[in-house]
Amino acid sequence: MIALVDCNSFYASCEQVFRPDLQGKPVVVLSNNDGCIIAANKEAKALAHIPMFQPVFKIKEILKANNVTCFSSNYTLYADMSQRVMDTLREFSPIVEEYSIDESFVDLSHYAIDELDEIAHRIKERVHKNTGIPVGVGVAKTKSLSKMANKFAKKVTENNGVYTVENEAKRIAMLHYFKVKDIWGIGRKHKIRVENTGAISAFDFTKLPLAWVRKEMTVVGERLWRELNNLPCHEMTVEVDAKKGIGTAKSFGYKLEDYGLIEEATSYYVAEVADLLRQQNSAAKYIEIFLTTNSFSNIDNQYRNKIIITLEVPTNSTVKLTQEALKGLRAIFKKGYRYKKVGVNLFGLVPDTDIQTNLFYQPQKSESSKLTEVIDALNSKFGKNKVKLATVGNREKKWALIKEHRSPRFTTQWSELLTIGGVK
Amino acid sequence: MRPNQTGFSSPATHYTEPRIDLNDALIENPSATFYVRVADNSFSEFEIFEKDVLIIDKSLTPKNNQLAVVVQEGCFQINRIDSNSKEELQLWGVITYIIKSTL
Repeated sequence: MIALVDCNSFYASCEQVFRPDLQGKPVVVLSNNDGCIIAANKEAKALAHIPMFQPVFKIKEILKANNVTCFSSNYTLYADMSQRVMDTLREFSPIVEEYSIDESFVDLSHYAIDELDEIAHRIKERVHKNTGIPVGVGVAKTKSLSKMANKFAKKVTENNGVYTVENEAKRIAMLHYFKVKDIWGIGRKHKIRVENTGAISAFDFTKLPLAWVRKEMTVVGERLWRELNNLPCHEMTVEVDAKKGIGTAKSFGYKLEDYGLIEEATSYYVAEVADLLRQQNSAAKYIEIFLTTNSFSNIDNQYRNKIIITLEVPTNSTVKLTQEALKGLRAIFKKGYRYKKVGVNLFGLVPDTDIQTNLFYQPQKSESSKLTEVIDALNSKFGKNKVKLATVGNREKKWALIKEHRSPRFTTQWSELLTIGGVK
Repeated sequence: MRPNQTGFSSPATHYTEPRIDLNDALIENPSATFYVRVADNSFSEFEIFEKDVLIIDKSLTPKNNQLAVVVQEGCFQINRIDSNSKEELQLWGVITYIIKSTL
């Protein structure tokens, strides 16, 4: 059996752990650059007249009038709180699949069926007690069913945030509750096809003939059909998919024309992703740089371009990656545009232990990797980016994200600890 | 490639251990441990003063006489737990250590 544990309005909940004065009050979290609302707690969602994905400057007055507290996104804090939740889940099972920052699948196959409901409740209480984050728990035999059980746990108040599908009656009751359009994991086109057969509920979907599903909905639909019929198709995957790339792309705080500033931002982002790459002991074969103007603006001339550079040998050296990235940036940069965003993606990831060199390349293992090690050690001791390449520069304020309302990084910086006492 | 070794290898080679780490002694449950800095002397009755750092373990259930951070009317407070008290407390976490500078 598998549990899906999902944090309730995760970003807002993280903020509220350190702000007891906001208990029961509406809280929203803003996107990078404070552009729009990306997360809202239950109380904020209940204010139905707050349009969710509108630019914040357009709804500032409404937020104020309703006493909604706004936070800039504090991903450092959310990442640490997420890790705490995942670590707490590991007290219950050695196999925890981190599905997203606020959702995990937890393998519970080592518990007896009749104790699962109690375990599910204990998971919910334990996570809340240890971290302050409220979660919902759905337990079932397959991932798709546990995802659905999790939704069901939250939607139906008497479930109290926990639903365990430990018998057929409970599975069928749940499938009857959800409409075809609520089923997780099928696209809109397929949903219409299912509805055209006369199926209304998720239960009706599970009663369609498998041959029809396979023909009309491809293998994706077939897997879902099987999973909702209690036949597991998706295994627990714990390892990080090494084929995936890593990257970052953030809007500038201001539109930039100056090549020097864009170069600094690019160098900063390269240093960030290279650091992640080393943390997971990988090296990248390709680096992609892209650059774009603000496509939503109707006063600016539009330009966007990208370039992919193949590295001589896979690397995770900040020095090497920065050199290549800036070559790429120079190639795609065009004068006379007001740029909004630059992005860096690394892909073709391989473990850094089996970096294959090519015939004509003499590895100079060496200076650049030793240098990187020293820089990493200094930065972990004295703080992010204390030691950096000169290309990163010092003018971060001129391009960095606007984060007017960011909360302190309570759990990762001594200088930003939560304080108690004192005049508020 | 290793750097060329010269001289004799250290007689301590097989005896090195990681240096003492405060985390081992002070932190029982890392995922439930939080740090809080005290802003002034309003908690002096508990011998807790300005700039002290509290180590708080949220996973614990407080026992009689232990110190805890609680929430009262939306504010953080420090409380000595009295198991005979009927008062409903909203617990935030149990204080396990207080770090003070003596300088």
